[in-house]
Amino acid sequence: MSIIKVTNLQKYFKVAKHQRGLWGSLRSLITREYEPVRAVDGISFEIQPGELIGYLGPNGAGKSTTIKILTGLLVPSGGEVLVNGYVPWRERRRYVARIGAVFGQRTTLWWDLPVIESLDLLKHIYQIPAEQYRRNLAEFRELLQLDAFLNTPVRSLSLGQRMRADICAALLHNPDLLFLDEPTIGLDVVAKERIRQFIRHINQERGTTVILTTHDLSDVAKLCRRVMIIDRGQLLFDGRLGALQHRFGGRRELVVDLADDYPHAGVDGARIAHRDGQRVTYQFEPGHITASELIGRISARYRILDLAVREPDIEATIRRIYEERLLEKTGPMLGSNGYR
Amino acid sequence: MHLFWAITQRSFQRHLTYRAATVAGLVTNLFFGLLRAAVLIALYNARPEVAGITVQEAITYTGLTQAIITYISIFGWYDLMQSVYDGDVAVDLLKPMNYFAFWLAQDVGRAVINLLLRGLTIMLIYALIFNLTWPTAPVQWLALVSALALALLVSFAWRFLVNLAAFWTPNARGIGRFAFGITWVLSGFYMPLRYFPDWFVTLCQLTPFPAMVNTVVEIYLGLLTGPALLHALLQQVLWLAILIIAGHLVLRAGLQRLVIQGG
Amino acid sequence: MWFTVNIYRRLIAVQLKAQLQYRAAFLLEIAAAAITLFMFFGALALVFHRFGQLGGWSLAEVAFLWGLVELAFGLMDLTFSGFDPGDFGQRVRKGSFDQILLRPLSPTLQLLGADFPVRRLGRIIQGGVILWIALALLDLTWTPLKLAYLPLVLVSQIGFFGGLFIIGATITFWTVESIEAINIFTYGGSELIAYPMHIYPAGLRRFFTYIIPAAFLNYYPALFLLDKPDPFHLPAWTPCLTPVAGFGLLGLALLFWRFGIRYYQSTGT
Repeated sequence: MSIIKVTNLQKYFKVAKHQRGLWGSLRSLITREYEPVRAVDGISFEIQPGELIGYLGPNGAGKSTTIKILTGLLVPSGGEVLVNGYVPWRERRRYVARIGAVFGQRTTLWWDLPVIESLDLLKHIYQIPAEQYRRNLAEFRELLQLDAFLNTPVRSLSLGQRMRADICAALLHNPDLLFLDEPTIGLDVVAKERIRQFIRHINQERGTTVILTTHDLSDVAKLCRRVMIIDRGQLLFDGRLGALQHRFGGRRELVVDLADDYPHAGVDGARIAHRDGQRVTYQFEPGHITASELIGRISARYRILDLAVREPDIEATIRRIYEERLLEKTGPMLGSNGYR
Repeated sequence: MHLFWAITQRSFQRHLTYRAATVAGLVTNLFFGLLRAAVLIALYNARPEVAGITVQEAITYTGLTQAIITYISIFGWYDLMQSVYDGDVAVDLLKPMNYFAFWLAQDVGRAVINLLLRGLTIMLIYALIFNLTWPTAPVQWLALVSALALALLVSFAWRFLVNLAAFWTPNARGIGRFAFGITWVLSGFYMPLRYFPDWFVTLCQLTPFPAMVNTVVEIYLGLLTGPALLHALLQQVLWLAILIIAGHLVLRAGLQRLVIQGG
Repeated sequence: MWFTVNIYRRLIAVQLKAQLQYRAAFLLEIAAAAITLFMFFGALALVFHRFGQLGGWSLAEVAFLWGLVELAFGLMDLTFSGFDPGDFGQRVRKGSFDQILLRPLSPTLQLLGADFPVRRLGRIIQGGVILWIALALLDLTWTPLKLAYLPLVLVSQIGFFGGLFIIGATITFWTVESIEAINIFTYGGSELIAYPMHIYPAGLRRFFTYIIPAAFLNYYPALFLLDKPDPFHLPAWTPCLTPVAGFGLLGLALLFWRFGIRYYQSTGT
């Protein structure tokens, strides 16, 4: 029994055409021309309870529109959505009582109040039993290290502190489902890691289903087994992270420091991806040539001072997928392809 | 000076783009003008003249004051204090320009566009509804233009001074609301000062506020002529000088405070 | 019901707590607001000595209209501030209205509890004092009916202006920018009915009688309470329309508000 079932979801917006100049804006007061924008154009997927999913896509791909629909904020133009037994926008109030959501840029806490007061208010709003509230708060205080700023007004918190407080606030009522939108945006490495650990803990220990949208692909690499990639309103990939990397992250890199400024540092079987004086970065396909073969060929022609082999990282892979629109060329990879 | 005009022009253009807001503001200004005119007409209650002002002049007064609301920001201005709270003040102070002049340049751009777009439109629409009084003599027009320019400068110097409160308190907005609130009444914006008892007018004359509105009004309506007119203009100049000096002294104290506290 | 009252009480309590952190600044601001606002009436009173009347009404009679509507508007501003069209427009623009929809609580209740600006006490004090002065000067003949009617007028006005705030807030779902013109109905309406309606040109008066029923909220109640004849000869039961106009407008506003939220959910921002 899946916790989220989305079938052929569509959301179209009418966007007023921007008229240029003085005359144009005067005219647009009277008549407006609209352009339809297909923010979400027929996507389908299912999510099982306890999954931790990375939901990715470039800006304006339809990512946040999907999340808004799934959290009951937006009514779709077409298709079906069933989350946790509810149609989110139809029974919004009863539905949102069972989910948690953190939108990284905005806080759900009361700006002028100390964190603890906000949490206490949420206890009453969500009608959380006293014992459950006490237990959860004790656990989150420890894991998220909230004690240092529990009595500080939200407006005086650092970004990282606010994010931790917000995540705590989203989980006090034991939601079945947690939506996290850019939970690590703007944080330093240590703060990011702390939040990732917490997300993993919640997912593993409590079985909370987590949907994570992020620009930080190291979040995805460290947390998610399954990723979904959306672009131009369509789901282009849905499957294991490993499958994605296997298919598109094929190229490895060899970084070599040459002993001399050779005018041509080229070699058969690899292409020069980057050159900075004596440091040359070669790219090669592992299927065609092994690293040691390549090193052999290079050292036969040039003198090598130092070298290192770089594995393709997920970030580079996905950036390549966006930039070169690889998924469109090869057609979407959906459903059970490589997943489970 | 070149920089001053460059900033003025940019501010002018920026405010020119707020067209929808201008139309909405225009409608609001006209509505309240109509309301104020009705109250004054009801106060006259068929009497031809009170305190040397005819009904026609009273109606003209409501149009004129509504027309210059945005020109002299009679409802208040909080941009400078906001820039102090946002921390932009540090960057602005590094500009190769006097801090007062830097803000004045922007305010002149804003004021002129509002006088042209909103002020003139309001007077034109008023002229369609009511039978208005207009200045006749060329000297009167000349005096009016000078008084209008001085009114803007005095009003700006006052607003500048009030905004500097932000260097001392996080609640400068409250101080501003109070300061601009009393300006509303004491400047003669709310009611022509001539209607008030003499002791009240004398009190007002000891403040810079009549130089922001009342002087313009009385010159426009032709209530001031000869030496009285000259005296009123000189008073505007005097208050301008006092407020500019006060502004610079307070600014210096404020900046010292900013430096000590590390901003 | 108990849940709603309890949550509202808690939302307001935390607002008060947050604001009372700066007690001294706070009292100063209330006093400053009361003084500033009182200056306007004071100025009117000062010029009154030259005119003697306003449309045939004495200063005390105008003070009654003025004090009542200022008191009501101040109380409305205190409780309905979350719907203040300017602030609400900003909330929609910044996307923080989404946070409200994400909580399992009625958005109306959340907005009523979103802001409780105690500094509005300045206006309330000013209105109360002017109304009190008016009543002291007027020497009214009180009957039990009039005694019961006055508070009803007050709550009707609160409902009326609250309704206008809600309508103004709802419009920002469409316009995104708050429109300054809505001030004509809220602040303009309150200023308009602070004076007797018969001083206005017929078109303006009819508009604020039959389209926006503001005249029924202050002018007609005042005619009844001050035992003055109606120059427009409306039926004798016209003062009964006060609660109808006040709560009717609030009801319509809430319907419009629901419609607006549905629109918001179909477009987002």
